[in-house]
Amino acid sequence: MYSVFLWRKGFRKDDRANYFLILAAFALHTTAMIERGFSISACPVNNLFEATLFIAWTIAASYLIFGLFHRLRFLGVFASHLLFFMGVFALMPALDPPRSSTPDFSGTLISLHAALILLAIGAFGLSAVAALMFLTEEHDLKVHKLRAAFSLLPPIQRLERVMNSLLVCGVFLFTAGLAISPFLVRQKYGVWFKNDPLLDYSIFIWLFYLGLLISRWKFGQGGRRFAWSTAASFAFIMLTFWGFLLLSQVHHP
Amino acid sequence: MNVVVIGLSHHTSPVELRERFAFAESKIPAALNQLRDSGLASESVILSTCNRVEIYAATALLPAKAFSELTHFLVRAVGAGFAPGPKAIYTLAEPHSLRHLFKVACGLDSMVLGETEILGQLKDAYTLAHSHKHTGARLNKAFQRAFNVAKHIRTHTNIQRGSVSVASVAVELAQKIFSSLAERQVLVIGSGEMSEKVARALVSRGVKKIVIAGRSLERAELLAEEFSGRAVRFEDWAGEFGNIDIAISSTSAPGYILDRAKLEPLMKLRKHRPLLLIDIAVPRDIDPAVNFLDNVYLYNIDDLQAIADDYLKQRKEEIRVCEGIIDQKVSQLRNAECGMRIGSTPQGVPRAT
Repeated sequence: MYSVFLWRKGFRKDDRANYFLILAAFALHTTAMIERGFSISACPVNNLFEATLFIAWTIAASYLIFGLFHRLRFLGVFASHLLFFMGVFALMPALDPPRSSTPDFSGTLISLHAALILLAIGAFGLSAVAALMFLTEEHDLKVHKLRAAFSLLPPIQRLERVMNSLLVCGVFLFTAGLAISPFLVRQKYGVWFKNDPLLDYSIFIWLFYLGLLISRWKFGQGGRRFAWSTAASFAFIMLTFWGFLLLSQVHHP
Repeated sequence: MNVVVIGLSHHTSPVELRERFAFAESKIPAALNQLRDSGLASESVILSTCNRVEIYAATALLPAKAFSELTHFLVRAVGAGFAPGPKAIYTLAEPHSLRHLFKVACGLDSMVLGETEILGQLKDAYTLAHSHKHTGARLNKAFQRAFNVAKHIRTHTNIQRGSVSVASVAVELAQKIFSSLAERQVLVIGSGEMSEKVARALVSRGVKKIVIAGRSLERAELLAEEFSGRAVRFEDWAGEFGNIDIAISSTSAPGYILDRAKLEPLMKLRKHRPLLLIDIAVPRDIDPAVNFLDNVYLYNIDDLQAIADDYLKQRKEEIRVCEGIIDQKVSQLRNAECGMRIGSTPQGVPRAT
């Protein structure tokens, strides 16, 4: 909530209050992760819930380091929103199933598949953050707000480039993660393909992002529409991924 | 030993008067020698810029006596032949002299509030005096502290943030849109004084390619030569839109020379690359409706002036914060010096309480 006010104020001043709020949350988060780690006698990165929270923890840690430089402290406004949504996402049902005696991601191929998909979602998430920065700054420039000139945000052209690069990176990782799926299905069911809601959903997401990139390369799609598509598609993933995971038979036999 | 200041600045005297009392840089070492030889000051620094002429001196004389002697010295040294009126010259003793020095270093006493050029000029003046051994414990400490305070204020306040001129605001906006100005191409339509200023400001920030379209091709060519750019006929400016990134327009046309219907197909040619339009003309050259197009950012003279005014307003709001910091730093300096003097009191002499 505090970050929303900071966002409205513009990004001109480093804000210690926001920094210390994130620092306090980080301390609590670290304590919770340590507690969980001791309770399961392993590093707490065994399922999607833990993996999401681990990524959130690394983002918070990175921000706290960047935030030591007062010119970069404004990034906390974006980091806190991202961390909040990741926290909400992690609380969705089915991401933290009751623990079995063996870790969920015990196989190399499964671990690689999960890691690639998670990294891809991370890249899409960061691209969405760059898109939000772009939309904020673009709006300020359009309506001639003083904060457009005063803010510490990078130039919109650079943000667009960052958005694009992260999307390319995300699609590449997502493709690699998806490419492993047939091997996993064959290991488990003896067939190369098994119809599954999460698999269909993943293919839809993959096609959507691929389409987004093609429309940019082929038709010069850029600027505001590109940024809106990037931000909205990530919000869509955040809101729907858990639902399809819940429906999936392959991931929860 | 008291640190005193006498001087004239843009606050107290017009340029006609300031120029009569200005020191040529080559004459400053001799003037500093005279100050020491006459017993007026054991340490001194002379700052002479287009906006101020000031003598900072550490002297054993009482302030009133020092001010009168330094004023006579100033008149003699520059050969002005007359003394400036009491309102034109200011005289300050401690702690006001130190506060003034700190304010000057921070740009709080400058014509353009918060500007940084004065800090460089002050450093040069100090270095000159220091290299000729005209500074000692008092002025060294005072000037070093002034430079530190200026750095502190630049880092911790917004006094130097933003641009307060229309041309600089235009450059700043361009930097918010484009990753690098060095590869950007600028089109100047009409060769008015303000568009020239904006173009010059852009060139100073790295722009290399400038195209000038003027009704008088001869004048456009002259201007293009100055910017190492090229000139085109006024009728041909629209043909350049495929390549340019920034357009500055200041023609005397009675109506819009660029509207949405004209720009829309041109934007397709540009493959939707961002375009910054700066319309400095009155009446305006560019239809405000073009700002509704994607990737087009239009600013007219009022928009730029409003941003410059807001910046200035924000700088003024920071003055109180800066003065608070300066007061604190002056007290710290004086307390430290006082402590050192007490610490160096000879044995047997009771210490001041």
